[in-house]
Amino acid sequence: MTVAAIASLVGGIVIGFVGQRSRMCFVGGIRDWILVRDTFLLKGLVAFGLVAWIAFPLSSLVGGAPVGEFGRPDMTALFLTAAGGLGVGYVSVLANGCPFRQHVLAAQGAGSSFVYLAGFFSGAIVFHTIASPAILTILP
Amino acid sequence: MTESESEPGAVKQRRTTRVTGLQAGVILALVAVAAGAFFEVRPPEAYGICMACHGRDLINWSANRLAESRLTVAPASLVFPLLTVVGVLIGAWIAAVASGEFRWRRPRKPLKNFVYGMLVMNAALLAAGCSIRLLLRTSAGDMLGAAGFTAMAIGVVLATFWLRRRALQ
Repeated sequence: MTVAAIASLVGGIVIGFVGQRSRMCFVGGIRDWILVRDTFLLKGLVAFGLVAWIAFPLSSLVGGAPVGEFGRPDMTALFLTAAGGLGVGYVSVLANGCPFRQHVLAAQGAGSSFVYLAGFFSGAIVFHTIASPAILTILP
Repeated sequence: MTESESEPGAVKQRRTTRVTGLQAGVILALVAVAAGAFFEVRPPEAYGICMACHGRDLINWSANRLAESRLTVAPASLVFPLLTVVGVLIGAWIAAVASGEFRWRRPRKPLKNFVYGMLVMNAALLAAGCSIRLLLRTSAGDMLGAAGFTAMAIGVVLATFWLRRRALQ
């Protein structure tokens, strides 16, 4: 388990560096293409999906742990995931970048992104103490 | 290159590595898959990179330690939390300082940004993934992830049209 922590720290440093040098953003690609037909970030989004799609089976061929079964989702999970995804996309565009981009901007010294991260991390506590129990009581 | 030539008195330009969006996407995907396949960043499946879930793990694990609360933490972060968030901040800071792009800027609308951050975290935890992990789950073959990613793309399109409409008025 500590292997995971160290690996995620090193992996984080790598993707943080790359993210700062490329201004990579996972909602910016679609936004820029709609607004100005710019494909710089959209290529990154598509490349991420395709490379991960190929790398998952390849990694298990060379001894990596294979990806487990996901099973068939029920309607409730489908609805909640879709609602969450819609929220992530909509608010991220209003906030001017996906969570990853906001971390990179904060590390560049952007005050707005620092405030965003403060809300982001307190949002984790809010979700597990207020939002999640509330949703569970509403659900049938 | 041309900038430093056109301004002879300017500060000598630093050598900086340039990364295109395409290259960044490839590197992020390889890191995400390798973390899950070789470095025990699992379960849950396809958990290699997620800014929301890993941040949640770090915050909740710390809160559980400090305040003896019992907030949810993913199995991969039970013993010691994943440090992706810390790593990204360090890596981006190194890159920004090395390229001379680090600059403090005061927040313009602090309350608005705070609320945006809180909303995105709640939506991401509801969907079990930030924009990166939703795409990662889709690539791993998760139907739920695909639904979440499709909804995210729709949300991005709606918000972009809303922004353009507001800008044109």
